[in-house]
Amino acid sequence: MSSGVTFASVARSEWIKFRTVRSTILGVAIFAVLTIGLGILITAEIHAHWASMNPLDKLTFDPVSTSLGGTVLAQFAVGVIGSLFITTEYTSSSLRSTLAAVPQRRRLVAAKLAVLAGSMFVVSEIVCFAAFLIGQSIYRGMIPASTDTLSNSAVLRSVILAGVYLTLLAMMGFAIGLILRQSPATISTFTGLVLLIPLIIFFLPASLQDTLTKFEPSALGHSMMSVTPRDRLFSAWPSTLLLVAYVAVVLFVGATMFQRRDAT
Amino acid sequence: MLSVNHLSKRYDDTVAVDDLSFEVRPGVVTGFLGPNGSGKSTTMRIILGLDHPDKGSATIGGRPYAQLKDPLREVGALLDARAAHPGRSARNHLRALATSNQIPLGRVEEVLAFAGITSVADKKVGQFSLGMSQRLGIAAALLGDPAVLMFDEPVNGLDPEGIRWIREFFRALANEGRTVFVSSHLMSEMALTADQIIVIGRGRFITQGSVDDLTATVQGTVFVRASDPAALAEALRARHAVATPVNEHGLTVTGLTCDEVGAVAFAAGLTVFELTPQRASLEEVFMDLTADAVEYGGSTLAPVAHE
Repeated sequence: MSSGVTFASVARSEWIKFRTVRSTILGVAIFAVLTIGLGILITAEIHAHWASMNPLDKLTFDPVSTSLGGTVLAQFAVGVIGSLFITTEYTSSSLRSTLAAVPQRRRLVAAKLAVLAGSMFVVSEIVCFAAFLIGQSIYRGMIPASTDTLSNSAVLRSVILAGVYLTLLAMMGFAIGLILRQSPATISTFTGLVLLIPLIIFFLPASLQDTLTKFEPSALGHSMMSVTPRDRLFSAWPSTLLLVAYVAVVLFVGATMFQRRDAT
Repeated sequence: MLSVNHLSKRYDDTVAVDDLSFEVRPGVVTGFLGPNGSGKSTTMRIILGLDHPDKGSATIGGRPYAQLKDPLREVGALLDARAAHPGRSARNHLRALATSNQIPLGRVEEVLAFAGITSVADKKVGQFSLGMSQRLGIAAALLGDPAVLMFDEPVNGLDPEGIRWIREFFRALANEGRTVFVSSHLMSEMALTADQIIVIGRGRFITQGSVDDLTATVQGTVFVRASDPAALAEALRARHAVATPVNEHGLTVTGLTCDEVGAVAFAAGLTVFELTPQRASLEEVFMDLTADAVEYGGSTLAPVAHE
């Protein structure tokens, strides 16, 4: 008979926990509906006004990032899913049961993260590809001889990195949750990170804006899911690496605190 | 065997556990007794590796909890009956725990049946009464069929039937040679449940022993009925005993044994009708032992004055 607390056994256990609470199911549903639904609204709106759009806007029009426009709101849903995966352990004090079964805290964090990242990656990719394909079918005929199909590697990259961006945001929510432990504080901090930082930067002098904006998480996300990045932003791969680095730093701090703190 | 060595833990400026040492042996039910806030739960959390001690250590079979290879197969613990996600069903809660330690899922059904909650296993834990949660906690503790079991205030929330069930259950576990460690702030409960008792107060070790040992440490009294209680009281006081009149002919004597009281009465030429040793109850022993160690003492409340 096999025994012991292994990474695989803890990951299987955390997978059971992840999928057996309503918050995960509801969160994923809201995430899918927002991304795909808003994507349909945005692309249909553009399609309806295409004829009257000014030529400059037509020139900079990005059929990929517009079809993924729903992620602007949906990113909060993935952040909440990631946050709740750890904070509900504290709020329900189920962390005591969890740690009694798995006292190796690093292994526990690693297994939780693997389950969260793995499942959110799969879900995000499915949702992003769906939003993209639906968007393109709405745009069909609007742009003659469009090269924006998945056979174009830049397009494929943008759609895949959109899913990666959302997965990284779920991990960021989890990492903040490790540090703050309480659901409301974690969710508002996450929201502040994604929503408030761009707003604050917006009110800074223009020179500062230019230097700071490209480092800001939602701008990184925009670059990741655009075929051609906006002016003064990092291109897709550097943006991805930078966001990975952000998540890694917050995760490191969170995991260290989790290791040292009392589980009460 | 479970062993706690010079354990100390403070939270901010409150000392929760102060240089606490004791051992819990297999084959008997060991009670862990102390007033509320005396550090029982903190000690148990440290044993489970949930809280980190400032000094000292707690080991199970010589190893700290975090180094156990199969934690649930070695130690089963019920520290907090509500320690489960309220939105998850009891069955899924147990399945997740079992899976982490590679315990076959069939065992989940066994412990559900043993705890008597099979019929509500698919209900959300948040809908459970405290008694049902308590049974779920017991089921979780038994998942790995462990040799060491630890329960923090397990009787809370159980109905009389449940309390009897759990007492017999502790007894059976101990008879199987397991280590059973049960905390309570109720000495009357401990007197019925435990063979050995460890008493703490304000985080410090006070005493340890069997129920009989503990009651013996506190001086008993002697009840005596004699032909002339006033004369006997005077003779006893001459021997530096305390004699308090009870009823018409009775006296309660502190400070002398039955034999000595009998001898005093004989020397005074009195007829003794009754001579009864009165042992202190465990309750009185506990009050006596922890009188200085009560964290949250109540006082009497003055009645509201009516105009």
